[in-house]
Amino acid sequence: MAIDQVHDMQQVYRKLLQSMSRPGTISSIREIAERVEYKLPCYRATFLSVMTLLDAEVTFHILSEKNQELIEKISEYTLAKYAAITEADFVIVLQDDTEASIIEAMERCKNGNLLDPQHSATWIIESPLIAKEAELTLTGPGIKQEAQLQVGLTPEIWQTRNERASEYPLGIDFIFIDEQAQLACVPRTTSVVILEVE
Amino acid sequence: MKTNTHFAFFDEGSKKEIRRAILKAVAIPGYQVPFASREMPIARGWGTGGLQITLSIIGKQDVLKVIDQGADESVNAVSIKKLVQATTGVKLTERTQESSIIQSRHRIPEVALTEGQILVLQVPMPEPLRPYEAKEYQTKILHSEEDYSGAWLMLFEQIMKYGQTATGADHPVYVNNRYVMAPSPIPRFDNPKMHQSEALILLGAGREKKIYAVPPYTDVASLAFDDYPFAVESFEGKHCHLCGATNVFMDELIDHSTGETIYQCNDTSYCMERLNANVEAEVEENHV
Ligand SMILES: [Zn+2]
Repeated sequence: MAIDQVHDMQQVYRKLLQSMSRPGTISSIREIAERVEYKLPCYRATFLSVMTLLDAEVTFHILSEKNQELIEKISEYTLAKYAAITEADFVIVLQDDTEASIIEAMERCKNGNLLDPQHSATWIIESPLIAKEAELTLTGPGIKQEAQLQVGLTPEIWQTRNERASEYPLGIDFIFIDEQAQLACVPRTTSVVILEVE
Repeated sequence: MKTNTHFAFFDEGSKKEIRRAILKAVAIPGYQVPFASREMPIARGWGTGGLQITLSIIGKQDVLKVIDQGADESVNAVSIKKLVQATTGVKLTERTQESSIIQSRHRIPEVALTEGQILVLQVPMPEPLRPYEAKEYQTKILHSEEDYSGAWLMLFEQIMKYGQTATGADHPVYVNNRYVMAPSPIPRFDNPKMHQSEALILLGAGREKKIYAVPPYTDVASLAFDDYPFAVESFEGKHCHLCGATNVFMDELIDHSTGETIYQCNDTSYCMERLNANVEAEVEENHV
């Protein structure tokens, strides 16, 4: 059975909304991801999220330069246009992207302005494994007391993110996706404390 | 004639744009995100903003409740329910506890909302600074600079004039300690329900083309001064003449036979449920 453009996308969206409004809450879209029939150079759940959120009205950027194939697939399926990192509404990070390239992109992407803080990039990031582990401690809107989350980003990347989110309401919003089609979000309002590794 | 055969009325492109705006609204609590409001088959000012949110998020598994000023059976609530059900086939309910999406105008239900629920509020005027600043660009600047001196002055003038915070419905709130937000014309009685709510709250203004949000577990404080603290409408010593409830938001009525003032729950489904429970309890008693 293929993907239903109406009902499956609605369900993926509700999981995204659930996780974005409750940072650290892990949602699963596995049942839908298992029905994705395309051969893709990214996780199936990544593609589902892209299909759910992108269309001709927005732009996207992919870090890996060797991903011409994915750029073409996304453009073809969503009609969204590819753009430079400084312009893109959505930034897609694949699991093989390096720390250096992620940090550089994070320093240059849109993070909104005081008049229009929504003119910021939403990052869709592939994670090796999303889990409820004490790698990060999250507090802020959407979180009752605190939440714990593991997504596998390095402390240096989080430091860069924290700097870009330090002038709230400016900031960037993250959607994490793993191979098991789990997803979790960390919007700009979330205060992220990285577990100190001795 | 071209008939609309889309699930939930909208084409997928319209939903996507609204869905993206909602995600931004959630990420920036209390900030009004602009969106391209669509024409709807109901009159503007009758909840098109809320309806556009509902139609963009709803799925086949949802259970929908629609209330207008506390009533599930008002003409407005019924016409919204009809439109949504005709285009989605979702189950409708009047019981707050059974619903996954509640679209409401002017009230937050008496039954506490929970984590699995989304409350969609209809907003006629999303800009809390509009009463003293007519220009949209200027209010955007005021929000960007967190300059809310005008909102405080407005409140102060009311206190000087009436000796108390005499705002009726739509008393402005501070969200996440950053944006001043119009909670929509809910009574002050409902403002505290937004603070650290378990449910996600989405607000939509169709005519003004704005969507904004209060995520769960977010601080929401009603604007007030230390020496003139915020106060909700008081129903102390009053009870609902039908179900006997106290400490709920009540409508004032005149008993035509006696000419006396009586009170009645504004939330009709809440009142009905209490009445049914009372009847059941009486039946039980009679059988013992
Ligand atoms: Zn009652």
